[in-house]
Amino acid sequence: MSTGWSFWVMFLVVLNMGITFFLYLWGPRAKIPTLPDGTSGHVWAHGVLREGVRPLPLWWVVLSGAMFVAGFVYLALYPGFGNFKGALGWTSHTELADAVAANDAKRAPLVERFKLYPVEQLASDPAALQMGKVLFEDNCAACHQRSAKGNVALGAPDLSDNDWLYGGSGSDITTSIHDGRSGVMPPWASLGEDNVKNLAQYVLSLSGSPHDAAKAAAGQPLFSTCAACHGADGKGNQALGAPNLTDHIWLHGGSVADIEKTIGEGRQGHMPAWSPRLSDDQIRVLAAYVYHQSHQGDAATP
Amino acid sequence: MAYRHFEAIEKHAGLLGIGIAIMVSLGGLAEITPLFVEAHALKAPPNVHPYDPLRLAGKDVYVREGCYLCHSQMIRALRFETERYGHFSTAAESVYDRPFQWGSKRTGPDLARVGGKYSDDWQRKHLMDPRQVVPQSNMPAYPWLVGKKLDAADIQARMRTLRKLGDPYSDADIAGAPAAVEGKTEMDALIAYLQGLGIRNEPDATTASTGTGGTP
Repeated sequence: MSTGWSFWVMFLVVLNMGITFFLYLWGPRAKIPTLPDGTSGHVWAHGVLREGVRPLPLWWVVLSGAMFVAGFVYLALYPGFGNFKGALGWTSHTELADAVAANDAKRAPLVERFKLYPVEQLASDPAALQMGKVLFEDNCAACHQRSAKGNVALGAPDLSDNDWLYGGSGSDITTSIHDGRSGVMPPWASLGEDNVKNLAQYVLSLSGSPHDAAKAAAGQPLFSTCAACHGADGKGNQALGAPNLTDHIWLHGGSVADIEKTIGEGRQGHMPAWSPRLSDDQIRVLAAYVYHQSHQGDAATP
Repeated sequence: MAYRHFEAIEKHAGLLGIGIAIMVSLGGLAEITPLFVEAHALKAPPNVHPYDPLRLAGKDVYVREGCYLCHSQMIRALRFETERYGHFSTAAESVYDRPFQWGSKRTGPDLARVGGKYSDDWQRKHLMDPRQVVPQSNMPAYPWLVGKKLDAADIQARMRTLRKLGDPYSDADIAGAPAAVEGKTEMDALIAYLQGLGIRNEPDATTASTGTGGTP
């Protein structure tokens, strides 16, 4: 606040408190003229009701006095009187910094403990999982769902199965969260509508799903185009994030129409990088939580 | 002061009314006028820029659809807020928001730093049908936005108006608007706006710790 405005505020504070305090002190002392019967002479209803003159009730005087004291103490301790910062030097920013520091100190022993283990082992630490759950629901659930089961409409993978596009080790998961992932499957509509349909039947045959054998056979020679990413056997490639086509897990849906759409129009999946939002410690805890989701059935999680 | 002075005020309703009005307005004069005047003198920090044409169109869609009724863009300086949403908001960040979008109610989450948190595809699906990506969401769907093409001449007119109000748009910025919004829909504009929220205008640590971040 500029000095001019500071004086403006001080002036108004002094004026306000000055007028009210003056009235508080002098109001009760003003001599009110009374008639011999002790009333003010102010009457209603032809003299049936008369106005008496009484001193102010004690509770009112005490409470008002207490409010003045509280007001003066507040202005002395906290910012309020123009640019005067108050004896305590309080600001909302320092209060926030103190709260953050206090919370960090409380969390420090846990964070130090979490650093001792690899992500795979961290996944069996209940405290890490509890922290990971909160982070997951705040940041990941919008795409992967709170259940971590993913979202086919979005092409967000199920994290609770043990099938991984980019690898399922602790460090793979950490990298996926830290740097994000962008999956790109190009559109193949240029092959012609019939070829796309035949390819879709062949892709279904890879996982032993119900399919049209004749069309699948016609589609097989075309799969060499797909093999560059998905491999000649269709088992996918984790270095590229190309999905395994031989299991029954479908990132963008496993119906004939879905697969034809995937081949004809291509697919793009984008997971944002979380390094700008989350600290490395948070990302490790989150990776442990995700790792845990896909290993809950394991009897011997380390 | 003698009794007759009190009497003069208390027995004349008009005079009493004026006296009450003066006393009641003192608080407002002290708290509102300095901030009001100083807010108009607030300069944009070097990392805060006026909206590019597409995001400007998106901001107007955001206002028209009433997004601010359920979403704030104001992260308070409280630990549980900064932990979830990021650095607290400062006044200087919204110098180019006319009107500002701080909001006063959160039915949905705060959006001040939502830019980049989700993919463009997520934003599109979410605006078309929120339940498709967040099953428990109670946000309305906005499917009509995909059907509305942007009008470049209209956006240029808005940029010229904002320049009159002091936003530093150059002639080249305004001339480039038609190319920037060519073929885009209101949905594209809104997504571009959302994806830019809070990007690169986070106050740096030094200004925040010395308390000159501008939060009143």
